[in-house]
Amino acid sequence: MQAVQKYRQLKPDLVTMDIVMPDMGGIEAVREICKTDPDAKILMCSAMGQQALVVEAIQAGAKDFVVKPFQPSRVLEAVQRVLG
Amino acid sequence: MDISKYAALFLAESREHLSTCNLLLLEWEREPSATEPVGGLFRAIHTIKGMAATMGYAGVADLAHRMENLLDGLRQGRVAAGSGVFQLMFRSVDALTKAVESAAVGTEPVDEDLFAELDAAAVKGVADTQAAGRGGSRAPSRKKTAEPVPLRPVQVTIRPDAIMRGARASLVLRRAESLGAVTGVRPPVAQLDREEFDGRLFFRLSTRSPDDTIVSTLQAAGDIQSVKLEGPGGEGETVARGRQIRVDLRRLDTLMKQVGELVVAKNRLGVLAVGGADPALGEVSDRISRLVSAMQSEVIAARMTPVGEVFDRFPRLVRDLSRDLGKRIRFDMEGEEIELDRSILDEIGEPLLHLIRNAADHGIELPDERVAAEKPAEGRILLSATRDRNSVALRVSDDGRGIDRRAILAKAQREGLVEPGVDAANDDMLLRVLSRPGFSTAAAVSGVSGRGVGVDVAVTRVRALGGTLEVRSEGGRGTSFIIRVPLTLAIVRALLADAAGERYAVPLAYVAETVEFDPRGVTAIRDREALVVRDRVIPTVHLRDLVGRRNGPAAPRAPTVILEIGERRTALVVDALRGQQDIVVEPFDAPRGMPPFVGGATILADGAPALILDAAALL
Repeated sequence: MQAVQKYRQLKPDLVTMDIVMPDMGGIEAVREICKTDPDAKILMCSAMGQQALVVEAIQAGAKDFVVKPFQPSRVLEAVQRVLG
Repeated sequence: MDISKYAALFLAESREHLSTCNLLLLEWEREPSATEPVGGLFRAIHTIKGMAATMGYAGVADLAHRMENLLDGLRQGRVAAGSGVFQLMFRSVDALTKAVESAAVGTEPVDEDLFAELDAAAVKGVADTQAAGRGGSRAPSRKKTAEPVPLRPVQVTIRPDAIMRGARASLVLRRAESLGAVTGVRPPVAQLDREEFDGRLFFRLSTRSPDDTIVSTLQAAGDIQSVKLEGPGGEGETVARGRQIRVDLRRLDTLMKQVGELVVAKNRLGVLAVGGADPALGEVSDRISRLVSAMQSEVIAARMTPVGEVFDRFPRLVRDLSRDLGKRIRFDMEGEEIELDRSILDEIGEPLLHLIRNAADHGIELPDERVAAEKPAEGRILLSATRDRNSVALRVSDDGRGIDRRAILAKAQREGLVEPGVDAANDDMLLRVLSRPGFSTAAAVSGVSGRGVGVDVAVTRVRALGGTLEVRSEGGRGTSFIIRVPLTLAIVRALLADAAGERYAVPLAYVAETVEFDPRGVTAIRDREALVVRDRVIPTVHLRDLVGRRNGPAAPRAPTVILEIGERRTALVVDALRGQQDIVVEPFDAPRGMPPFVGGATILADGAPALILDAAALL
């Protein structure tokens, strides 16, 4: 819930979102944010084995994803793609 | 950026698009309710507009833009397609052609009247002219026919080392959806989501987006190894087009010339190797010989161009001619895919133009005349290409009245072209008389032809290419002109022959066979010496006579080369034959007094020069 409010306040260039979060799930948050701003640049952070959730997040409007454990180069590439 | 160097490219590409425009207009005129030609026209004109704008040719872009407006009106059904519109479009394409040509050389004339006409037509259409006769009905209430969105088959491969390829695939599909509807996903989406695939996914994307947009959009999904697009309908068209490049013809000319020199050097090496003691030299020589031959055929292949490129302008020509002449003419083409050396193709257009004009003007009769002669009112002209062994035959046939042999004979007798005793004109005589500069039997000189330049020009051009022209004509049934040209100019295989100590090359394309001169077979036709070869009487020519070195009768069993062009034959008697060789035809500025039977010169394998005999002049 906090994340969605923060987004509306700050209109950030980029959002990184964990898939599993307390309260509202990450995917639910993505859906909420995209309702107000379909162009929101959301990068999902997930762990191995959460592919089904990632797919759901993408369908909800996430623009890309990175997988833990993070590799700096992959994270950088993903950020560039999302902002590009 | 210096834009001027792109002018040639602009011109070349615009010409192609304009040629397409003409063909599409003809197609559309035949079938005014068809929708494909409109779309094609729109694309071609639009491309020209874009290119012209890039080049800063405002006049061209402006005209193209106004044509686009009219086409848009037609496409949307606001304006009805009828003969008036077609006539205006034909004129506009002509004007655009002129504008493109003059823009490329730096001038831009503007035709304000045409602009105004196009603008008016785009709003309220054009009244049909009565002259068109057929297809003149306004297409009634054409339904809105927006061009269908092309359906593009796409194959995306995700990198094998990518993490969560299933999620990556769903990103790809999301991105594809931003361009247009996605259908036919394989493997099915559920399977992709579970990563049950090998990294490759296929789908169909309906979008008007250009290829590079599609590719870059999909690439941006990340971890993509490749994106492959196919043309609408999945014919792999995009791929094929991507593999072609434009090359300046002069480059190919230079390359061809150098390969030619290489062929001569190779031949010399071959001669040295045969005489040499070192077997290794022979081996290397053989290998070089094979390599050079392969290279030669590749270069020749690179220069080959389908004759359709020249043919394409003629349907429009015949349409305009038939309008001007008040005749009904169907024009058909066959063998457009047959290929010819580019430099020959460039030269062949004009002779064909003259022959087609002649056929339309003199050959095909007026509709009433045809009906009276119990022929269909619509005449037919057929332009066809066929490939023989080493040459290509181009035929212009009509089903018109045929050549008036009596008129030709009378004319020939008046001008002293034939002996008084001759009382029939055969096909050979027809050609001899028709190809006299200034000859014409047309009752009046029309704007189309009949100034007596047609056949004359055709014969001269075709002969200059080392080709031949034949005519066949049947009274009341029609006339055919047949042009035969060699496949390529630069390198020909030739038979080498000696006469009076000099060496001559006879292009093999015209050699039917070689025989021995048998004095017992000598006879005469019309005071000319002739030789009977297997029951055929063939007039003889002694090469020694031609070069002014005759010293007595030909030796018994002297080698004799039978030359053949079409049905005509000549037996060329020489001193000795020296085998076959690939020769490079050198450009040849004939000095004054050079006899007509010399068609060019070459350097032989042993470094000696030789004259090339022009078979057509010997027949």
